[in-house]
Amino acid sequence: MIKKVLATLALSVGTLAVASSAFADYPERNIQGIIQWGAGGATDNVARSLTPHVEEALGTSIILNNRPGGTGVIGMNSVMQQPANGYTVLYGAENPQLYPIMGLADFDYSAMTPINVIGQGLVVIAAPADSQFDNFKELLNYAHKNPGKLRMGGTGAGGLPSTVLAMVNSVDSLDVRNVTFGGDGPGITAMLGNHIDFMPLSLAAAQDQIPAGRLKGLAVFSKEKIEELPNTPPITQALPRIESYLPWGPFWAVAVREGTPDAIVKTLSKAYEKGVANEQFQTFLTENGAKPLNLQGEKAEEFLNRWQSVTAWALQKADAAKISPQDVGIPKP
Amino acid sequence: MADSVSYFLMAWLDPSLLMLTAIGTLAGIYVGAIPGLSVTMATSILISFTFSWDVNDALALIVGIYTGGVYGGSRTAILLNIPGAPSSVATSFDGYPLAQKGEAGQAIGLSTVMSVIGGLIGVGVLASVAPFLSDMALKFAPRDYFLIAALGLLLVGSLAAESLSRGIFAAAMGAVIGLVGLDQVTADPRFTMGSMQLMGGIHYVVVMIGMFGVAEAFFQLHQLNAKPLRQKVDKIVPSLHLVLKFLPLSIRTSVIGVIVGALPGTGGDIASLFAYDHAKRSVKHPSRPFGKGAYEGLVAPETANNAAVGGAYVPMLTLGMPGDAVTAIIIGALVVHGLNPGPMLMIQAPHIFWFTVGNLVLANLFLLIFGLTGIKVFAKVVELPKAILIPLIMVLCVVGSYSLNSSMTEVYWMLGFGLLGYFMKIFRFQMGPVILGVILGPLMDKTYRQAMSSVGNDTGSFLLSLVTNPLSLVLTTAVVLLLLSNTPLKRLLQRRRQA
Repeated sequence: MIKKVLATLALSVGTLAVASSAFADYPERNIQGIIQWGAGGATDNVARSLTPHVEEALGTSIILNNRPGGTGVIGMNSVMQQPANGYTVLYGAENPQLYPIMGLADFDYSAMTPINVIGQGLVVIAAPADSQFDNFKELLNYAHKNPGKLRMGGTGAGGLPSTVLAMVNSVDSLDVRNVTFGGDGPGITAMLGNHIDFMPLSLAAAQDQIPAGRLKGLAVFSKEKIEELPNTPPITQALPRIESYLPWGPFWAVAVREGTPDAIVKTLSKAYEKGVANEQFQTFLTENGAKPLNLQGEKAEEFLNRWQSVTAWALQKADAAKISPQDVGIPKP
Repeated sequence: MADSVSYFLMAWLDPSLLMLTAIGTLAGIYVGAIPGLSVTMATSILISFTFSWDVNDALALIVGIYTGGVYGGSRTAILLNIPGAPSSVATSFDGYPLAQKGEAGQAIGLSTVMSVIGGLIGVGVLASVAPFLSDMALKFAPRDYFLIAALGLLLVGSLAAESLSRGIFAAAMGAVIGLVGLDQVTADPRFTMGSMQLMGGIHYVVVMIGMFGVAEAFFQLHQLNAKPLRQKVDKIVPSLHLVLKFLPLSIRTSVIGVIVGALPGTGGDIASLFAYDHAKRSVKHPSRPFGKGAYEGLVAPETANNAAVGGAYVPMLTLGMPGDAVTAIIIGALVVHGLNPGPMLMIQAPHIFWFTVGNLVLANLFLLIFGLTGIKVFAKVVELPKAILIPLIMVLCVVGSYSLNSSMTEVYWMLGFGLLGYFMKIFRFQMGPVILGVILGPLMDKTYRQAMSSVGNDTGSFLLSLVTNPLSLVLTTAVVLLLLSNTPLKRLLQRRRQA
């Protein structure tokens, strides 16, 4: 009995000691990581691959939780509701930068403090293996002669395919039937069954299907050819004028609530910089068709602003924005 | 060939893989039994801490969890009328009446054996005709999914026990609940009343936990003084005679399960409802009337949902495309482990296919062992005094719905649906059709719009496409026949034939 009491006492004294000594230093307890997309998706995979390396640098655990829904609005909103003490971080994708012009929410990344812009994904326009088109030029020519006939796989307003379509439409005309799927996966499945004619996809989702001959790459959404798909021409070959938007692609970022003390932002930034720079994680990113960025502070903000301005105004030009970027204060690129 | 056999036996011969499969199966049974704690969630949590493991270890554990979890949902469905997961909703229709007759032990025993039979048939199909089945699954166009959803909604005819009009009302209500949230195509909010919390929609598991769990708990308050029924727990393992008697039915429902599971847009929840309907239509003389404790009503969904596991692995292993939410997470796990799931998987990591098949067989054997032990203790749950049982149910419901998204919003919704479900129960509405509507309404909405935009939003060509493609024609015919069988026309025809 006495032993038990002593043990309990010792334990609580120990806890107290730990608690008081750590009071000054952040982090003194576990950190919550909110992923704004569902389990098994690209954002989830990036977050789960990166976090162990950050935990190592930070010396504490980061408990990851998926809070999907509403194109990520729900996850982001829940982080913004938590106290600005650095104990809740958001793992987000590019979507928040389009919330204001899609009328989804009145906030974007500028309402938070960015910790790290992790990397940017590459985009490829893919078609079924037995497609009549060998490159994007042929597809465009066909679409010019047969407007509104081709079926494009999409992921809904503000999604990657509709943004790519808008960019194409702001320099050319591509009139298609937009068939909406729940994501890249269901879209690829439909393409394998020849139920759609083409779909802009993240390279991560398509890069295995194309070399295996199950899908055909019509164009990569970049200025030059890329290593992963040596036989797919860059989109500038078919559409030289689209160059002003490039490089463009979805990205992943980590952010905390605005007003988080500078010292904590600094600690987090350092830890995430170390985590992203980890060799194992860099290999993960490149193997999954993404370009590592690892941007902090002002550089991260610059990147976010440029991405938003380029994308929002391209959507506006193609008449795909619900609210003009002008009205929500997004400057022209 | 020799390679295949050695890959198949990998998990059988390696003690640590054997242990992990066993642990996974056991954990899966208990995680699956708690409403809201889903297999999907368990696998996604696991993946975080299997990050540093060997990929085979992680896969063995996940296969166990998946197999055990799908089965585990039947436990609470039978004992408490609270399905542990949407794929066990149909199990509660006849499982719970059995428990109320004092046959909870037999019901769990039978469902265990049948789950294993279903699971093994599913693996058998996966091992033998996976490439063929995945090619077939790819042929399903959006319009075909639309027809499947329509076919599913027509099941309301067999799920609404006494009143078809009440059933249709409940299913329609479910479909509307399923539509709440951001529109998939235009990203416009629907029925969100300006609330940001509603933009993600209402999780259908929340509806299920509320309508089955909380509503049931409230309803039991009516019979606080009723003496709990003594459960007969002497004959738990079903006799060979009984198993053989249900074998033809279980093979048919397993085939339904594996096909519905292999379609990338549908899973075990829809499969088990289809199977239940099939049993109700094809079994002329059930052991008891359906809905009142028919063994057939237990056998059909339990074989189908476990067979769907094998089915869900078909597109995953052959195409790298998920067959359902769990296989989507497994694909994510493979990515994190540096493997590229996709058409190259078979070349890059040739062992994965037969390793998974071997592992699934193993997990099913463990399921038989773990499923048949501890039933006596479980069956006693029903004998607990109401003063302990009802709070216990409430706690489970709150924990389950909170853990869906680690948020209180889901808990409030769950309680709201519990209250609604309670009053619906009083007015003799069935809960099954509501869940049917919540699951199938959004599927129908999504696929209808996909099919329509595929043909350029032209109603004429849409209707034409339903009858000009062989696959769609078969499904359209099924929809029409099912629709007619629910109308007075069928009775009219039967009467004429008799006359």
